[in-house]
Amino acid sequence: MSDETAPDDIPDMAAAELALGLLDGEDRAHALRRMLAEHGFAQDVERWRKHLAALFDLWPAMEAPRGVLARVERTIDGPAASPAVPAKRRLFWPVAAGLSSVAAAVMLVVIVTRPLPLSGPAPRPVAAAHAAILVASIDRGKAGAPVTAVYDPNSAALRLTPAALAEADRSAELWVIAGDGVPHSLGLLKPSGPSSFTVGHDNRARLATGAVLAVSIEPVGGSPTGLPTGPVVAKGALAPV
Amino acid sequence: MGSGARDCRAPPERASFGAVTDSSSAASRALAADPRARLVAALVGTGDEDRSAFRDLYALTSAKLFGICYRICGERQAAEDVLHDVYLTIWKRAGAYEPHRASPITWLATIARNRAIDWRRAQAVRRSSPIEDVPPILDEAPLVSETMLADEASHLLHGCLDGLEDNQRAAIRTAFFDGVTYAELAERQNVPLGTMKSWVRRGLARLKACLEASVGE
Repeated sequence: MSDETAPDDIPDMAAAELALGLLDGEDRAHALRRMLAEHGFAQDVERWRKHLAALFDLWPAMEAPRGVLARVERTIDGPAASPAVPAKRRLFWPVAAGLSSVAAAVMLVVIVTRPLPLSGPAPRPVAAAHAAILVASIDRGKAGAPVTAVYDPNSAALRLTPAALAEADRSAELWVIAGDGVPHSLGLLKPSGPSSFTVGHDNRARLATGAVLAVSIEPVGGSPTGLPTGPVVAKGALAPV
Repeated sequence: MGSGARDCRAPPERASFGAVTDSSSAASRALAADPRARLVAALVGTGDEDRSAFRDLYALTSAKLFGICYRICGERQAAEDVLHDVYLTIWKRAGAYEPHRASPITWLATIARNRAIDWRRAQAVRRSSPIEDVPPILDEAPLVSETMLADEASHLLHGCLDGLEDNQRAAIRTAFFDGVTYAELAERQNVPLGTMKSWVRRGLARLKACLEASVGE
Protein backbone atom coordinates (compact mmCIF):
# COMPACT_ATOMS: atom_id res chain seq x y z
CA MET A 1 0.00 0.00 0.00
CA SER A 2 2.26 2.75 1.28
CA ASP A 3 5.14 0.84 -0.29
CA GLU A 4 4.58 2.78 -3.50
CA THR A 5 5.53 6.01 -1.79
CA ALA A 6 8.89 4.59 -0.72
CA PRO A 7 11.84 5.34 -2.97
CA ASP A 8 13.09 2.48 -5.10
CA ASP A 9 16.37 2.14 -3.25
CA ILE A 10 14.66 1.02 -0.06
CA PRO A 11 14.86 -2.74 0.01
CA ASP A 12 12.03 -5.15 0.73
CA MET A 13 12.40 -5.97 4.41
CA ALA A 14 9.02 -7.61 4.90
CA ALA A 15 10.48 -10.70 6.58
CA ALA A 16 12.15 -8.58 9.25
CA GLU A 17 9.09 -6.37 9.57
CA LEU A 18 6.88 -9.38 10.17
CA ALA A 19 9.34 -10.83 12.69
CA LEU A 20 9.39 -7.54 14.59
CA GLY A 21 5.60 -7.21 14.52
CA LEU A 22 5.65 -3.86 12.72
CA LEU A 23 2.97 -4.70 10.19
CA ASP A 24 -0.76 -4.47 10.56
CA GLY A 25 -3.84 -4.65 8.39
CA GLU A 26 -3.39 -5.58 4.76
CA ASP A 27 0.43 -5.36 4.92
CA ARG A 28 0.46 -8.01 7.63
CA ALA A 29 -2.04 -10.23 5.83
CA HIS A 30 0.08 -9.97 2.69
CA ALA A 31 3.25 -10.94 4.56
CA LEU A 32 1.44 -13.87 6.17
CA ARG A 33 0.30 -15.08 2.77
CA ARG A 34 3.89 -14.90 1.54
CA MET A 35 4.90 -16.96 4.52
CA LEU A 36 2.58 -19.71 3.47
CA ALA A 37 3.48 -19.46 -0.20
CA GLU A 38 7.25 -18.80 -0.22
CA HIS A 39 9.50 -21.16 1.63
CA GLY A 40 12.49 -18.79 1.40
CA PHE A 41 10.45 -15.98 2.90
CA ALA A 42 9.39 -18.16 5.82
CA GLN A 43 13.03 -19.08 6.42
CA ASP A 44 14.02 -15.40 6.37
CA VAL A 45 11.39 -14.62 8.98
CA GLU A 46 12.72 -17.43 11.15
CA ARG A 47 16.30 -16.19 10.78
CA TRP A 48 15.25 -12.70 11.81
CA ARG A 49 13.41 -14.04 14.83
CA LYS A 50 16.52 -15.86 15.95
CA HIS A 51 18.72 -12.81 15.57
CA LEU A 52 16.25 -10.50 17.26
CA ALA A 53 15.94 -12.90 20.19
CA ALA A 54 19.29 -11.52 21.40
CA LEU A 55 17.33 -8.44 22.47
CA PHE A 56 15.52 -10.48 25.11
CA ASP A 57 18.75 -10.21 27.11
CA LEU A 58 18.17 -6.49 27.52
CA TRP A 59 14.65 -6.85 28.83
CA PRO A 60 14.58 -6.06 32.54
CA ALA A 61 12.79 -8.46 34.82
CA MET A 62 9.89 -7.40 37.04
CA GLU A 63 8.60 -9.38 39.94
CA ALA A 64 5.39 -11.10 38.89
CA PRO A 65 2.28 -10.48 40.99
CA ARG A 66 1.63 -13.02 43.71
CA GLY A 67 -0.85 -15.73 43.00
CA VAL A 68 -0.31 -16.17 39.27
CA LEU A 69 1.35 -19.56 39.66
CA ALA A 70 -1.49 -20.78 41.89
CA ARG A 71 -3.99 -19.53 39.31
CA VAL A 72 -2.15 -21.31 36.51
CA GLU A 73 -2.16 -24.54 38.50
CA ARG A 74 -5.88 -24.22 39.20
CA THR A 75 -6.49 -23.79 35.48
CA ILE A 76 -4.32 -26.81 34.68
CA ASP A 77 -6.29 -28.90 37.15
CA GLY A 78 -9.51 -27.76 35.54
CA PRO A 79 -12.70 -26.29 36.95
CA ALA A 80 -13.74 -29.62 38.47
CA ALA A 81 -10.64 -29.57 40.66
CA SER A 82 -11.71 -26.59 42.74
CA PRO A 83 -11.16 -27.34 46.44
CA ALA A 84 -14.84 -27.83 47.19
CA VAL A 85 -15.12 -30.81 44.87
CA PRO A 86 -13.92 -34.17 46.19
CA ALA A 87 -11.38 -35.85 43.96
CA LYS A 88 -13.55 -38.84 43.17
CA ARG A 89 -16.34 -36.78 41.74
CA ARG A 90 -14.05 -35.08 39.28
CA LEU A 91 -13.89 -38.00 36.95
CA PHE A 92 -17.43 -38.69 35.90
CA TRP A 93 -18.27 -35.78 33.64
CA PRO A 94 -15.08 -35.53 31.63
CA VAL A 95 -15.18 -39.26 30.99
CA ALA A 96 -18.83 -39.25 30.04
CA ALA A 97 -18.43 -36.20 27.82
CA GLY A 98 -15.31 -37.66 26.28
CA LEU A 99 -17.01 -40.93 25.47
CA SER A 100 -20.07 -39.34 23.93
CA SER A 101 -18.03 -37.07 21.72
CA VAL A 102 -15.79 -39.93 20.65
CA ALA A 103 -18.93 -41.78 19.69
CA ALA A 104 -20.19 -38.75 17.79
CA ALA A 105 -16.87 -38.37 16.04
CA VAL A 106 -16.76 -41.99 15.03
CA MET A 107 -20.26 -41.80 13.62
CA LEU A 108 -19.44 -38.67 11.71
CA VAL A 109 -16.24 -40.06 10.31
CA VAL A 110 -18.24 -42.99 8.99
CA ILE A 111 -20.65 -40.59 7.36
CA VAL A 112 -17.99 -38.32 5.97
CA THR A 113 -15.98 -41.10 4.44
CA ARG A 114 -19.01 -42.65 2.78
CA PRO A 115 -19.00 -42.00 -0.93
CA LEU A 116 -21.79 -39.46 -0.69
CA PRO A 117 -21.61 -35.83 -1.77
CA LEU A 118 -20.99 -33.77 1.38
CA SER A 119 -23.17 -30.96 0.20
CA GLY A 120 -26.22 -33.17 -0.13
CA PRO A 121 -28.94 -33.34 2.46
CA ALA A 122 -28.18 -36.95 3.42
CA PRO A 123 -26.36 -36.42 6.76
CA ARG A 124 -29.14 -34.34 8.25
CA PRO A 125 -30.88 -36.99 10.33
CA VAL A 126 -27.72 -37.70 12.34
CA ALA A 127 -26.67 -34.11 12.88
CA ALA A 128 -30.15 -32.92 13.71
CA ALA A 129 -29.97 -34.13 17.31
CA HIS A 130 -27.47 -31.40 18.26
CA ALA A 131 -26.27 -28.02 17.08
CA ALA A 132 -24.43 -28.01 13.77
CA ILE A 133 -21.43 -30.27 13.95
CA LEU A 134 -18.77 -29.32 11.43
CA VAL A 135 -16.38 -31.50 9.51
CA ALA A 136 -13.47 -30.83 7.23
CA SER A 137 -11.62 -33.11 4.91
CA ILE A 138 -8.06 -31.85 5.24
CA ASP A 139 -6.52 -32.57 1.88
CA ARG A 140 -2.90 -33.69 1.80
CA GLY A 141 -2.59 -33.71 -1.98
CA LYS A 142 -0.49 -36.58 -3.21
CA ALA A 143 0.97 -37.24 0.25
CA GLY A 144 -1.86 -39.51 1.32
CA ALA A 145 -5.49 -39.86 2.27
CA PRO A 146 -7.17 -36.75 3.67
CA VAL A 147 -7.34 -36.22 7.39
CA THR A 148 -10.86 -35.88 8.71
CA ALA A 149 -11.57 -33.23 11.32
CA VAL A 150 -14.78 -33.18 13.31
CA TYR A 151 -15.76 -30.20 15.43
CA ASP A 152 -18.56 -30.27 17.94
CA PRO A 153 -19.42 -26.69 18.94
CA ASN A 154 -21.48 -27.96 21.88
CA SER A 155 -18.41 -29.26 23.68
CA ALA A 156 -15.75 -27.26 21.77
CA ALA A 157 -14.17 -30.64 21.00
CA LEU A 158 -12.15 -30.95 17.83
CA ARG A 159 -10.95 -34.38 16.73
CA LEU A 160 -8.78 -35.48 13.86
CA THR A 161 -8.19 -38.89 12.40
CA PRO A 162 -4.63 -40.24 12.70
CA ALA A 163 -2.05 -39.01 10.21
CA ALA A 164 1.71 -38.85 10.41
CA LEU A 165 2.23 -35.50 8.74
CA ALA A 166 5.59 -34.47 10.19
CA GLU A 167 8.98 -36.15 10.41
CA ALA A 168 10.11 -37.18 13.87
CA ASP A 169 12.14 -34.00 14.33
CA ARG A 170 9.26 -31.71 13.40
CA SER A 171 5.80 -30.95 14.71
CA ALA A 172 2.61 -30.73 12.69
CA GLU A 173 0.60 -27.73 13.84
CA LEU A 174 -3.07 -27.18 13.14
CA TRP A 175 -4.37 -23.71 12.29
CA VAL A 176 -7.73 -22.16 11.66
CA ILE A 177 -8.01 -19.36 9.13
CA ALA A 178 -11.32 -17.55 9.44
CA GLY A 179 -12.67 -14.20 8.29
CA ASP A 180 -9.61 -12.18 9.29
CA GLY A 181 -7.41 -14.24 6.98
CA VAL A 182 -4.87 -14.76 9.74
CA PRO A 183 -3.90 -18.26 10.90
CA HIS A 184 -4.63 -18.96 14.56
CA SER A 185 -3.05 -22.01 16.16
CA LEU A 186 -5.32 -24.77 17.42
CA GLY A 187 -2.46 -26.92 18.68
CA LEU A 188 -0.10 -29.68 17.66
CA LEU A 189 -1.18 -32.92 16.04
CA LYS A 190 -0.09 -36.13 17.66
CA PRO A 191 2.63 -37.94 15.73
CA SER A 192 0.52 -41.10 15.87
CA GLY A 193 -3.07 -41.89 16.69
CA PRO A 194 -5.99 -39.47 16.59
CA SER A 195 -5.59 -35.92 17.85
CA SER A 196 -8.13 -34.15 19.97
CA PHE A 197 -8.36 -30.61 21.25
CA THR A 198 -10.63 -28.61 23.43
CA VAL A 199 -10.81 -25.42 21.47
CA GLY A 200 -10.09 -22.27 23.49
CA HIS A 201 -12.59 -19.43 23.75
CA ASP A 202 -10.73 -17.26 21.25
CA ASN A 203 -10.93 -19.84 18.50
CA ARG A 204 -14.48 -21.10 19.01
CA ALA A 205 -16.07 -18.36 16.96
CA ARG A 206 -13.53 -18.95 14.21
CA LEU A 207 -14.55 -22.58 13.75
CA ALA A 208 -17.51 -21.95 11.51
CA THR A 209 -18.67 -23.04 8.09
CA GLY A 210 -16.15 -21.98 5.46
CA ALA A 211 -13.24 -21.52 7.86
CA VAL A 212 -10.11 -23.27 6.64
CA LEU A 213 -8.15 -25.76 8.72
CA ALA A 214 -4.52 -26.01 7.69
CA VAL A 215 -1.55 -28.03 8.91
CA SER A 216 1.97 -26.60 8.77
CA ILE A 217 5.27 -28.24 9.55
CA GLU A 218 6.97 -26.49 12.44
CA PRO A 219 9.97 -26.89 14.70
CA VAL A 220 9.35 -29.38 17.47
CA GLY A 221 7.02 -27.82 19.98
CA GLY A 222 5.20 -25.80 17.39
CA SER A 223 5.73 -22.43 15.85
CA PRO A 224 7.64 -20.25 18.30
CA THR A 225 6.03 -17.18 16.82
CA GLY A 226 2.33 -17.84 16.98
CA LEU A 227 2.14 -17.93 13.20
CA PRO A 228 3.02 -20.65 10.70
CA THR A 229 6.72 -20.68 9.91
CA GLY A 230 6.95 -23.82 7.80
CA PRO A 231 5.26 -25.23 4.72
CA VAL A 232 1.54 -25.96 4.73
CA VAL A 233 1.08 -29.63 3.96
CA ALA A 234 -2.67 -30.01 4.22
CA LYS A 235 -5.79 -27.92 4.27
CA GLY A 236 -9.54 -28.09 3.99
CA ALA A 237 -12.66 -26.07 4.72
CA LEU A 238 -15.21 -26.74 7.45
CA ALA A 239 -18.71 -27.64 6.40
CA PRO A 240 -21.77 -28.57 8.39
CA VAL A 241 -22.86 -32.17 8.46
CA MET B 1 35.53 -7.49 14.42
CA GLY B 2 38.97 -9.05 14.39
CA SER B 3 40.05 -12.53 15.17
CA GLY B 4 38.98 -13.84 18.52
CA ALA B 5 35.93 -11.62 18.48
CA ARG B 6 33.77 -14.51 19.61
CA ASP B 7 35.69 -14.83 22.84
CA CYS B 8 35.53 -11.20 23.83
CA ARG B 9 32.20 -10.10 22.44
CA ALA B 10 31.04 -8.93 25.87
CA PRO B 11 33.53 -6.46 27.30
CA PRO B 12 33.83 -6.60 31.10
CA GLU B 13 32.56 -3.06 31.64
CA ARG B 14 29.15 -3.90 30.25
CA ALA B 15 26.13 -3.70 32.50
CA SER B 16 25.30 -6.87 34.32
CA PHE B 17 22.03 -8.71 33.90
CA GLY B 18 22.35 -9.90 37.49
CA ALA B 19 22.22 -6.38 38.84
CA VAL B 20 18.79 -5.89 37.37
CA THR B 21 17.29 -9.11 38.63
CA ASP B 22 18.80 -8.98 42.14
CA SER B 23 15.59 -7.71 43.59
CA SER B 24 13.40 -10.31 41.93
CA SER B 25 14.20 -13.49 43.79
CA ALA B 26 16.72 -15.80 45.24
CA ALA B 27 16.17 -17.88 42.15
CA SER B 28 18.11 -15.44 39.99
CA ARG B 29 21.10 -15.69 42.30
CA ALA B 30 20.98 -19.46 42.21
CA LEU B 31 20.85 -19.18 38.44
CA ALA B 32 24.41 -17.94 38.45
CA ALA B 33 25.66 -21.50 38.98
CA ASP B 34 24.55 -22.82 35.62
CA PRO B 35 21.48 -20.93 34.59
CA ARG B 36 20.91 -22.57 31.29
CA ALA B 37 21.27 -26.16 32.51
CA ARG B 38 18.84 -25.59 35.36
CA LEU B 39 16.40 -23.88 33.05
CA VAL B 40 16.58 -26.70 30.53
CA ALA B 41 16.04 -29.24 33.31
CA ALA B 42 13.01 -27.34 34.57
CA LEU B 43 11.53 -27.02 31.08
CA VAL B 44 12.12 -30.67 30.19
CA GLY B 45 10.65 -31.71 33.56
CA THR B 46 7.61 -29.54 32.84
CA GLY B 47 7.25 -31.43 29.58
CA ASP B 48 6.97 -34.61 31.64
CA GLU B 49 4.13 -32.95 33.55
CA ASP B 50 6.32 -32.73 36.64
CA ARG B 51 4.63 -30.08 38.74
CA SER B 52 7.69 -29.31 40.88
CA ALA B 53 9.77 -28.75 37.73
CA PHE B 54 7.04 -26.43 36.49
CA ARG B 55 7.18 -24.47 39.77
CA ASP B 56 10.93 -24.24 39.45
CA LEU B 57 10.55 -23.02 35.88
CA TYR B 58 8.11 -20.42 37.10
CA ALA B 59 10.49 -19.27 39.85
CA LEU B 60 13.32 -18.99 37.33
CA THR B 61 11.48 -17.20 34.57
CA SER B 62 8.34 -15.45 35.81
CA ALA B 63 10.10 -12.14 36.50
CA LYS B 64 11.60 -12.10 33.03
CA LEU B 65 8.35 -13.05 31.33
CA PHE B 66 6.28 -10.66 33.46
CA GLY B 67 8.68 -7.87 32.48
CA ILE B 68 7.92 -8.69 28.85
CA CYS B 69 4.15 -8.88 29.34
CA TYR B 70 3.98 -5.72 31.42
CA ARG B 71 5.95 -3.56 29.05
CA ILE B 72 3.90 -4.60 26.03
CA CYS B 73 0.46 -4.71 27.67
CA GLY B 74 1.09 -1.51 29.58
CA GLU B 75 -1.23 -2.39 32.43
CA ARG B 76 -0.80 -4.64 35.38
CA GLN B 77 -4.02 -6.64 35.30
CA ALA B 78 -3.71 -7.39 31.60
CA ALA B 79 -0.08 -8.35 32.00
CA GLU B 80 -1.06 -10.70 34.82
CA ASP B 81 -3.76 -12.34 32.70
CA VAL B 82 -1.38 -12.69 29.77
CA LEU B 83 1.28 -14.17 32.06
CA HIS B 84 -1.28 -16.75 33.21
CA ASP B 85 -1.98 -17.71 29.58
CA VAL B 86 1.73 -17.81 28.82
CA TYR B 87 2.46 -20.35 31.55
CA LEU B 88 -0.56 -22.37 30.57
CA THR B 89 0.80 -22.51 27.03
CA ILE B 90 4.22 -23.46 28.37
CA TRP B 91 2.68 -26.27 30.44
CA LYS B 92 0.87 -27.64 27.40
CA ARG B 93 3.74 -27.33 24.96
CA ALA B 94 6.83 -28.02 27.03
CA GLY B 95 6.65 -31.73 26.18
CA ALA B 96 7.74 -30.96 22.67
CA TYR B 97 10.62 -28.67 23.62
CA GLU B 98 14.00 -29.94 22.43
CA PRO B 99 17.01 -28.49 24.25
CA HIS B 100 19.32 -28.87 21.27
CA ARG B 101 17.12 -26.90 18.96
CA ALA B 102 16.42 -23.70 20.83
CA SER B 103 17.60 -21.73 23.82
CA PRO B 104 15.02 -22.24 26.58
CA ILE B 105 14.68 -18.55 27.42
CA THR B 106 14.20 -17.62 23.76
CA TRP B 107 11.50 -20.26 23.48
CA LEU B 108 9.76 -18.96 26.60
CA ALA B 109 10.26 -15.24 25.94
CA THR B 110 8.94 -15.58 22.39
CA ILE B 111 5.72 -17.10 23.70
CA ALA B 112 5.37 -14.23 26.18
CA ARG B 113 6.07 -11.49 23.64
CA ASN B 114 3.67 -12.92 21.07
CA ARG B 115 0.88 -13.44 23.60
CA ALA B 116 1.29 -9.90 24.88
CA ILE B 117 1.27 -8.48 21.35
CA ASP B 118 -1.84 -10.51 20.52
CA TRP B 119 -3.55 -9.01 23.53
CA ARG B 120 -2.46 -5.50 22.60
CA ARG B 121 -3.64 -5.76 19.03
CA ALA B 122 -6.94 -7.30 20.11
CA GLN B 123 -7.55 -4.30 22.41
CA ALA B 124 -6.54 -1.93 19.64
CA VAL B 125 -4.59 -0.07 22.34
CA ARG B 126 -2.85 3.01 21.05
CA ARG B 127 -0.39 4.71 23.34
CA SER B 128 1.28 7.77 21.95
CA SER B 129 4.10 7.41 24.45
CA PRO B 130 5.66 4.54 26.33
CA ILE B 131 4.27 3.72 29.76
CA GLU B 132 6.05 5.46 32.60
CA ASP B 133 6.51 3.12 35.51
CA VAL B 134 8.37 0.38 33.73
CA PRO B 135 12.08 -0.37 34.22
CA PRO B 136 14.16 0.95 31.33
CA ILE B 137 15.55 -1.37 28.71
CA LEU B 138 19.27 -1.91 29.20
CA ASP B 139 21.63 -0.12 26.86
CA GLU B 140 24.28 -2.78 26.78
CA ALA B 141 24.28 -6.50 26.43
CA PRO B 142 24.99 -8.35 29.64
CA LEU B 143 28.07 -10.45 30.19
CA VAL B 144 27.87 -13.75 28.42
CA SER B 145 28.28 -15.55 31.74
CA GLU B 146 25.23 -13.80 33.13
CA THR B 147 22.86 -14.20 30.28
CA MET B 148 20.36 -16.99 30.04
CA LEU B 149 20.46 -16.86 26.27
CA ALA B 150 24.00 -18.02 25.58
CA ASP B 151 23.19 -18.63 21.94
CA GLU B 152 25.99 -18.71 19.41
CA ALA B 153 24.70 -15.68 17.59
CA SER B 154 23.08 -13.79 20.45
CA HIS B 155 25.77 -11.12 20.65
CA LEU B 156 26.10 -10.56 16.96
CA LEU B 157 22.97 -8.49 16.89
CA HIS B 158 24.08 -6.12 19.63
CA GLY B 159 27.26 -5.30 17.76
CA CYS B 160 25.42 -4.79 14.48
CA LEU B 161 22.74 -2.58 16.08
CA ASP B 162 25.50 -0.32 17.38
CA GLY B 163 26.44 0.39 13.77
CA LEU B 164 23.06 1.91 12.86
CA GLU B 165 21.96 5.54 12.79
CA ASP B 166 20.40 6.59 16.09
CA ASN B 167 16.90 6.98 14.67
CA GLN B 168 17.08 3.59 12.95
CA ARG B 169 18.26 1.81 16.07
CA ALA B 170 15.74 3.54 18.31
CA ALA B 171 12.83 2.63 16.03
CA ILE B 172 13.85 -1.01 15.76
CA ARG B 173 14.35 -1.31 19.49
CA THR B 174 11.01 0.32 20.23
CA ALA B 175 9.24 -2.01 17.81
CA PHE B 176 10.74 -5.00 19.57
CA PHE B 177 10.34 -3.92 23.18
CA ASP B 178 7.01 -2.10 23.00
CA GLY B 179 5.39 -4.38 20.43
CA VAL B 180 4.17 -1.47 18.33
CA THR B 181 3.36 -1.18 14.64
CA TYR B 182 4.71 1.27 12.06
CA ALA B 183 1.68 3.47 12.57
CA GLU B 184 2.30 3.76 16.31
CA LEU B 185 6.02 4.31 15.84
CA ALA B 186 5.35 7.17 13.46
CA GLU B 187 2.81 8.69 15.83
CA ARG B 188 5.21 8.52 18.76
CA GLN B 189 8.05 10.13 16.87
CA ASN B 190 5.70 12.59 15.22
CA VAL B 191 6.97 11.81 11.74
CA PRO B 192 5.02 10.77 8.63
CA LEU B 193 4.43 7.04 8.23
CA GLY B 194 6.55 6.93 5.07
CA THR B 195 9.48 8.51 6.89
CA MET B 196 9.28 5.99 9.68
CA LYS B 197 9.11 3.09 7.23
CA SER B 198 12.12 4.43 5.41
CA TRP B 199 14.17 4.77 8.63
CA VAL B 200 13.30 1.29 9.74
CA ARG B 201 13.80 -0.39 6.35
CA ARG B 202 17.17 1.23 5.82
CA GLY B 203 18.16 0.25 9.34
CA LEU B 204 17.02 -3.33 8.83
CA ALA B 205 18.85 -3.57 5.50
CA ARG B 206 22.05 -2.40 7.17
CA LEU B 207 21.50 -4.76 10.06
CA LYS B 208 21.03 -7.63 7.62
CA ALA B 209 24.24 -6.82 5.77
CA CYS B 210 26.17 -6.66 9.05
CA LEU B 211 24.68 -9.94 10.36
CA GLU B 212 25.38 -11.74 7.09
CA ALA B 213 28.95 -10.45 6.98
CA SER B 214 29.57 -11.56 10.58
CA VAL B 215 28.04 -14.99 10.09
CA GLY B 216 30.01 -15.45 6.89
CA GLU B 217 33.37 -14.81 8.58
